[in-house]
Amino acid sequence: MRSRIALVVLGLFLLGLTASFAWQRRSRGFMGGGYGDNWVPEPPDANEKTEFVYARLMYPSARRGGFGGYGGRGGGAWTTDYPKSDRQFLQGVRRLTRLQTRSKEHVVDLDGDDIFNYPWIYAVEVGQWYLSDAQAAKLREYLLRGGFLMVDDFHGTYEWEVFMASMSRVFPDRPVVEIEDRDAIFHVLYDLGERFQVPGLAALYRGVTYEQDGIVPRWRAIYDDKGHIMVAICHNMDLGDAWEWADDPTYPERYASLAYRIGVNYIVYAMTH
Amino acid sequence: MFEFLFKYPATVYAKGDFVLLSRWPVWILAAAILAAGLLLAYLLWRRRGRLAGFTGLRPAAIWALQTGLAALLLLMLWHPALSVATLKPQQNVVAVVLDDSRSMSLSEDGKTRIERARAALDGGLVSALEKKFQVRTYRFGRTLERIDRRDQLTGQEEVTRINDALKQVAAEAAGLPIGAMVLVSDGADNSGGIDRETIAGIRRYRIPVHTIGLGRTAPDRDIEITDAVVPARALADSRLSALVTLRQFGFQNRKVQLKISDGTKLLASQEVTLKAGGELQAETVPFNAGIAGAKTLAISVDRLEGEENQNNNSIMRLVNVESSRPRVLYFEGEPLWEMKFVRRAMEEDRSVQLVSMARTTQNKIYRQGVAGAKELEEGFPGKAEELFRYEGLVLVNVEASYFTPAQLELIRLFVDRRGGGLLFLGGRSSLADGGYGSSPLAELLPVTLPDRKNTFHRDPAKAVLTAAGRDSLICRLVEPAAKNQERWDKLPLIADYQETGSPKPAALVLAESEVPGRGRYPLLVTQKYGLGRTAVFATGSSWKWRMLQEHTDASFQTFWQQLLRYLVSDAARPVEISTPRQVLFDEGSFRLRAAVRDKSYAPVSDTRLEAHVMGPEGISEMVELTPSPTELGQYEGEYNAAKPGSYLVELVARRGDELVGRDVLTFRREDGVAENFRTEQNRELLRKLSEETGGQYYTPETASKLASEVSYSEAGITTRELRDLWDMPALFLLLILLRGWEWLLRRRWGGV
Repeated sequence: MRSRIALVVLGLFLLGLTASFAWQRRSRGFMGGGYGDNWVPEPPDANEKTEFVYARLMYPSARRGGFGGYGGRGGGAWTTDYPKSDRQFLQGVRRLTRLQTRSKEHVVDLDGDDIFNYPWIYAVEVGQWYLSDAQAAKLREYLLRGGFLMVDDFHGTYEWEVFMASMSRVFPDRPVVEIEDRDAIFHVLYDLGERFQVPGLAALYRGVTYEQDGIVPRWRAIYDDKGHIMVAICHNMDLGDAWEWADDPTYPERYASLAYRIGVNYIVYAMTH
Repeated sequence: MFEFLFKYPATVYAKGDFVLLSRWPVWILAAAILAAGLLLAYLLWRRRGRLAGFTGLRPAAIWALQTGLAALLLLMLWHPALSVATLKPQQNVVAVVLDDSRSMSLSEDGKTRIERARAALDGGLVSALEKKFQVRTYRFGRTLERIDRRDQLTGQEEVTRINDALKQVAAEAAGLPIGAMVLVSDGADNSGGIDRETIAGIRRYRIPVHTIGLGRTAPDRDIEITDAVVPARALADSRLSALVTLRQFGFQNRKVQLKISDGTKLLASQEVTLKAGGELQAETVPFNAGIAGAKTLAISVDRLEGEENQNNNSIMRLVNVESSRPRVLYFEGEPLWEMKFVRRAMEEDRSVQLVSMARTTQNKIYRQGVAGAKELEEGFPGKAEELFRYEGLVLVNVEASYFTPAQLELIRLFVDRRGGGLLFLGGRSSLADGGYGSSPLAELLPVTLPDRKNTFHRDPAKAVLTAAGRDSLICRLVEPAAKNQERWDKLPLIADYQETGSPKPAALVLAESEVPGRGRYPLLVTQKYGLGRTAVFATGSSWKWRMLQEHTDASFQTFWQQLLRYLVSDAARPVEISTPRQVLFDEGSFRLRAAVRDKSYAPVSDTRLEAHVMGPEGISEMVELTPSPTELGQYEGEYNAAKPGSYLVELVARRGDELVGRDVLTFRREDGVAENFRTEQNRELLRKLSEETGGQYYTPETASKLASEVSYSEAGITTRELRDLWDMPALFLLLILLRGWEWLLRRRWGGV
């Protein structure tokens, strides 16, 4: 009898957990309850209808040794720095450009078609993502239609391999190449011929600018047939952290400035190429 | 019957003057009629008491009949007659002018038109004429030629020039007593008709032209392409349309294919259902211009079994597909997604080049597609020679106040004088929200903007084609038209729309934004302005058509490529050469014209123009064009395309050693083709010719009357003859009628 009661309780608990997860996904209110340091209040003009909307990609995570799903209320890898990083970056975009942008981000996934309404998406910690074949196909279609993906905050050899495990199923036949300094993406608004590694806050606390074995920052890309960048890959750097901690007196301004300039250039590039 | 009652043919009455031969003056006749009327009235008044039934207006009726009778008798006593000019026998020439063109060889009911002509002439007409006149026989086609025998007719002349033939015969009247002309023809003239000068020349000699019309006025079974209008110039890969006019007899409701071919390559094929017999039917056939080069297009319709004439099912037209790439300047006031996708669409376009400027920050403009670092480095052009380098201009989300007054005037001149195309897109700083309603550009817009702000809405809307849009090449995403409509129906919603106000009278609304619960607003509107054209596309989110459809779907690219090609396709160029017609039929002489403008597109006449003409069989000639004395910037030069075939003209304009500009044009001369078209009898033309010159129109069946009527002419050597009228049967019949009518009335009213 006790074991039956225990089974029922366990069942109800699992049901509640599933319902909670499903509700979170539907409402995209993943951070409503607050995420410690990442939490920021919703801006008053959060629902303004604007030309540009910062779309953050929600993807299932791969854990070492298996598939980890989207993550629970605590958030998967895709929620890293979310939402403070996004909102703080958007304030910069508003101040630095003439782009009409919404102050609040929007979360998209690769399971529905909502993503096609947002030609620019940002994915963080893609060293932990795991895309199913259907999701990879959806992302490929998105990019071929003209969508732009910026990936950031993944480091070292292992995370690169995890990233490529999914990305090579998105584009099996397209190489990842280093972006040349003269590429328009580094000059569309700011001239970014000279760049350096932008560290995350935690790395700085350790007194370095890199994580794992990702010592050399890489600005890489996947191009389409006409020479437009479809996927901008920021490897061995943490631009998202720099956006998030730009207001922290302990985070060096030079890193935050470069991160903002790169982010703004990537958006303007995506809107002009 | 007419001749029995009135004694003479109608021609005599038409040509004669009415006279009274009595020696007594006409006023006595009038007085006598008046006196007779009074006397009869008096007699009736005296007898009024004895005639019980004669009340009211009845006495007046009796009086009118009696007075009419008396007047008629008196008139006959005054000896009425016709004075008519007639040709003096054996002293005049009658010119018989025979049409010897190929259309006269057409067989109808087992006989050719020439055979019918011979039958009519040899059936007694010519011999009757020869009894009174000297008969000269001519045949004509391209030229007029005198012949001795009518069996010299061949029916193989490749052109019918009635006008020239009449003019030459009339010219002979200066030295010959030509009393009349007899034109035997089907009237299927293909040299432009009979001009007023020729008619005036014939009338000067008072020569009546009698016509004998041959051939049916409509075939039993035939399809004919009567015309096709195709642009003389086109951009590579651009979508063009041929406006084809056809008509049919005997094949109503049959479905046929209209085809456009370039050599052996089929460019377009469209099924059409034939309308009622004889009705002109206009069909628009879209096709792709393809790669650059001079193209000779064959526009044809199916040949159906039983057609009487299968040589009129196809016509040729020329299109010069240019290798130049007009440039469009795309200026946006803030970064928008639309530009990314428009740029990508135009990267795939070989015919239009997009140069873009995007205001990324308050003080930075990002340029793309520029020819060098210097181009547009100062921002939006402030000088005519800078802006007029472009053929099209797109203004996106930029306030009117961003431009200086001089720049706004420059934009106006860009459309008005330079002939450029100007397109406004929707946006929060566009149209009314951008302050354009009160700017100098308001008059260029194809819409009258609302007099308020907040007209731009970021709400979804459906793009709906209008009737004009369904016919427009801009909106033709796929062929045929029915599938295109389906395609539009399936297009994703646009994410925003702008209220544009009402379209101006000359504007064309091609598409509307349909907003649930709010109604419809003009979405795509075009119009001509000055030498150029303007358009409004009142949204900034057509990119949804790209992102919300499969990546293989080309709707967005096709739409934008066609929209921008439309914008620039008619843009003026510094040097432009033109011919009166694309295809010359059987006649090679024409006037080449050219317009020359400077960098600010103001007309100039201080350049030297040389046209190099290359034609068939190695023709290579230079033609110098000289400035028109009446029009600044216009040049003219005569040229004769001596041989049939395709010609290419390359015009170069120089001022000293400076090259002002060059232009290329193609045209074609076709001989013998025109004779295949409009082969039915042009009865209207023949009738009108006879009426205008005092002649008569005859059919082969009535032609025998011509011999007796041809004498009444004022041309040649004539004499005036008097023809009595008093004894014509009609007058006696009228006397009896008047008297009989009076008797009947009296009997009825009790007066007999």
